[in-house]
Amino acid sequence: MSNNNNGNRIELPIGPQHPSLKEPAAFWITLEGERVVNAVVGVGYNHRGLEKACESRNYIQNLYLIERVCGICSHTHSTAFCQGIEELAGLSIPKRAAYIRVMVAELERLHSHLLWLGVAAHEIGFDTMFMYTWRDREKVLDILAEVCGNRVNYGINTIGGVRRDVDEAMLQDISKMADELENQIKYYLELAMTETTLSARLSGVGRLPYEDALKFGVVGPVARSAGIADDIRVTEPYAAYGEIPVNPVVDTRADVLGRTVVRIKEMLESLNILRFCIKNIPDGDISVKAPLRIPAGEVISRTEAPRGENIHFIRSNGTDKPDRVRVRAPSEANWRGVKHMLEGGYLADVPIAIAAIDPCYSCTDRAIVVDSGNGRKVMDWQGLRQYSIDWYKKHGIDVSSVKIPEKKYF
Amino acid sequence: MQTENEIVENLCKKFGFLRDKVYVQRQKRIFTEFLAKEEFEQVLRYAHDELGFYRASHVVGTDEGDDLGFIYLLSDKNGIILALKEKAPKSDPVINSMTGKYPSLEQHERELVDLFGAVVKDLPEGPSYPLPDGWPKGSYPMRKDWDPRYFDKNTMTYNPPEDNGKKEGGNK
Repeated sequence: MSNNNNGNRIELPIGPQHPSLKEPAAFWITLEGERVVNAVVGVGYNHRGLEKACESRNYIQNLYLIERVCGICSHTHSTAFCQGIEELAGLSIPKRAAYIRVMVAELERLHSHLLWLGVAAHEIGFDTMFMYTWRDREKVLDILAEVCGNRVNYGINTIGGVRRDVDEAMLQDISKMADELENQIKYYLELAMTETTLSARLSGVGRLPYEDALKFGVVGPVARSAGIADDIRVTEPYAAYGEIPVNPVVDTRADVLGRTVVRIKEMLESLNILRFCIKNIPDGDISVKAPLRIPAGEVISRTEAPRGENIHFIRSNGTDKPDRVRVRAPSEANWRGVKHMLEGGYLADVPIAIAAIDPCYSCTDRAIVVDSGNGRKVMDWQGLRQYSIDWYKKHGIDVSSVKIPEKKYF
Repeated sequence: MQTENEIVENLCKKFGFLRDKVYVQRQKRIFTEFLAKEEFEQVLRYAHDELGFYRASHVVGTDEGDDLGFIYLLSDKNGIILALKEKAPKSDPVINSMTGKYPSLEQHERELVDLFGAVVKDLPEGPSYPLPDGWPKGSYPMRKDWDPRYFDKNTMTYNPPEDNGKKEGGNK
């Protein structure tokens, strides 16, 4: 922290080990009293050279690499990548595969939005809501594990379709989960719309009005909460979205409260899409054979990620490896607006204003690796649960009597 | 609402040099060939001011052998993407910043500087992106001749052999 000899102005560096978000970013905030008069955003600490790595790997290897662009919305990246390659190769995927892609995409949106809602609640000291939403998110992650085999980095997509089919039992489980979740989401919506503490804390915070949202090219819920009705599922329907009614949720508050309301309503819309898919998913194959060598050409592939428009540019040179891959993830677009959301606001609002664009941060798998002497042991679900029970016992809490239903996929 | 074909027609009518250099790639996609700097800037300004391409999504840098390529992705309210391409020689990789028309491009143009070694004139001041402080000068990792095998992350130095690894099979 330093005075910059300019009256009462104070420069405050925050990060790159950010105190609230589990991802590195640096903010240089200039304060006049409690007011933020200037903000500089520094990102790039997580650049992993992934696009360069794509150029020396074949398309199938790249599929797994691309899925790891983001731990939260991995499916949207593998979908954008696959459909880009499929376009270059002239492949048309089976309808059933397109429906499965949509279902996983909407499950991903649900868990991403629930995760965000919890983080946002935590940022404003509303930890009860954080606990509630993360508890509900587990229901979605359990379904994702059942359908895909994984809670994150689902590995469901392949070039030419999907790798796993869904059966009737899975569809029933999704339907049951949707019914249970709907009540909770409606409760969160009611909270956001009527709870005075929430509206007092979020209303007018991190404002990015319509004109600025257009100017800085923000996307997804950040743009839609400022009155911009862009949604790639509607603008340029992909997978099976052309057959599925999708109603983009738009709000005009242009602040953190608006972003909260948009995301909660989008979850209800996701449940409607899931129900439509369960009812209308056609029978048939789930993939077509794809060539290893992809014809030369360029493609721009887009999907609507939970955080907004996701763009993949792919250039093929006719071999089995791409010549150039460029991923423009939605958070990259939304960072542009952060500076303007912070300026004019209070220092205390900085964490929630940043969190409200839902910047990506890592999501860890449930399995952990424990070093034990010279060897290493990978814990399975039961082992992890036992570890948790023992840890709490040591700290004076006995949770061994809590019953958790066994699932076949753990 | 202007269709893709109407936009292409409009562009060709306005700029004679675009004939045979702009085409509808598929529904919602319009591509141009690589254009000279002055031509590129004229088309970009017209697309912004007259054709309703209000948003620039990003810029894709490419290595085109002796040149660097810059593909600007602009979109209109109907979701049509115009991929406008510009080229500059590696020996003099100077382009003008387009942040005057599209402020959203600032970070993407910084990436062209760090990763491709482009010189972007009139780019607003700000922190570099995305390479870390102390990255070796003159080392541009997204160029095709940059090989990660020769980068030492402990000393932050890039030490390619004189033949740039060609005898070992080139860029792996």
